[in-house]
Amino acid sequence: MEFVNPEGLRLDGRRPLEMRQLRAQIGAVAKADGSAVFEMGNTKVIAAVYGPREVQNRSQQINDQALVRCEYSMANFSTGDRRRKPKGDRRSTEISLVIRQTMEACILTHLMPRSQIDIYVQVLQADGGTRSACINAATLALADAGIPMRDLVTSCSAGFLNSTPLLDLNYVEDSAGGPDVTVGILPKLDKVTLLQMDAKLPIDTFENVMQLAVEGCKAIANYIREVLLENTKQLEYRRGL
Amino acid sequence: MVGLSLGEKHFIQGGIDQNLRSDGRKRDTYRPISVETGVIPQANGSARIRIGATEVIASVKAELGRPNALQPDKGKVSIFVDCSPVAEPMFEGRGGEELSTELSVALQRCLLGGKSGAGAGIDLSSLIVAEGKICWDLYIDGLVISSDGNLLDALGAAIKAALSNTGIPRVQVAAGASGDEQPEVDISDEEFMQFDTSGIPVIVTLTKVGRHYIVDATSEEESQMSSAVSVSINRKGHICGLSKRGSAGLDPSVISDMISVARHISEQLINKLDSEISAAEADEDEM
Repeated sequence: MEFVNPEGLRLDGRRPLEMRQLRAQIGAVAKADGSAVFEMGNTKVIAAVYGPREVQNRSQQINDQALVRCEYSMANFSTGDRRRKPKGDRRSTEISLVIRQTMEACILTHLMPRSQIDIYVQVLQADGGTRSACINAATLALADAGIPMRDLVTSCSAGFLNSTPLLDLNYVEDSAGGPDVTVGILPKLDKVTLLQMDAKLPIDTFENVMQLAVEGCKAIANYIREVLLENTKQLEYRRGL
Repeated sequence: MVGLSLGEKHFIQGGIDQNLRSDGRKRDTYRPISVETGVIPQANGSARIRIGATEVIASVKAELGRPNALQPDKGKVSIFVDCSPVAEPMFEGRGGEELSTELSVALQRCLLGGKSGAGAGIDLSSLIVAEGKICWDLYIDGLVISSDGNLLDALGAAIKAALSNTGIPRVQVAAGASGDEQPEVDISDEEFMQFDTSGIPVIVTLTKVGRHYIVDATSEEESQMSSAVSVSINRKGHICGLSKRGSAGLDPSVISDMISVARHISEQLINKLDSEISAAEADEDEM
């Protein structure tokens, strides 16, 4: 199948190095301590953060740092064909774990000993790149909750199809069987906190693809920073400062 | 869950006794309702409803299937509700399952009628494509995104809005198939069939706190309830379903009183919802 046509356009009309449209909104869940909706094209996720609060299950309490927990769930209507998935299947457990580890890397957990931070992400629409979108939404929600972080974490994926590196794969491109590199970075510290790839890829190509994904992460970081700044300005305005 | 001090509990109960609740409402007023339709592009119809801080999404998906052998002239509708942990940390893991099931069953009771499919809010015979062979299966999914009480009313309203937003592709059945053969179908990409949603009931939940009952309780008020009665009522004022929750018993005369109050309130709610739904659809068309 042709994923990049001779004019250099992808199936959804993007250029190979072009990202899907980003949209973010802070404060979608009124009762959560922090929440955000993040959209990458047709992928839409909602994240809510509760905490830091008392540890619910005493045996899990950690005496010198905060306990970070994460749960990923997909709505029944999020995919094209409707399927009823049992809760806690392997895929969602794996993604929960990935998100938890990525977010733990940026939260200053040692500042909140004996407490618990819950991150819940819910996929409303899935069109490829849900794990990246979840991480981006979780970052925004954590920032909204005012939880101390080393840096923002942002994530983006890139692939390699028709011998062209492609940024931010959608569902059709993702299921084409080519490599899918998901990267999460701390943009200010310039560190990689998440790296996943399936399928095989020559090393020199991999470097290009990964570089592309890192560039994507940086672009998302800029966007997220803008959204946060805008949100802070509005809060300031409402307080009459 | 809601942790309230003794003082707060007294404040809520006292306010309800004096017909002035903590957020300034009277006993029989709803919080502001806002409706947005077409929020899930991959579904046949969808809607998001906000009632105060409660937010739910309903989506309708239609698939072609085979009608039940016992009711060859009727389509099938199923309703599932999911409570996202985003709304409440309590719903994490399997924690939301009990509430999800309770809500799904209550909605089925209120919207789908009896086993035979008679008395359903949705006209099941309009879902038939070829009698005894092909029909539409409607899957209605509800998702609770933010919970601040009164989930059942919100879900009922969201389903009503999603169904009025639903377009089912028109299907041409190839003539000539006879006997037990499954006929070939041609699904149109352009022509859509709309539902008649005027018969779909709304759900009004009356929550009893102390000696009085209130509509549209917030989660703080729900934590103080002794029992709650959910009545589903259609435009004609007919009662389509009834369910009672909570542990305390109710006097039969109180129940009939509650039903007549619910009937009165449902009129206002239906009108309000209908105008919100048509405004939301007009907004969507402009986009």
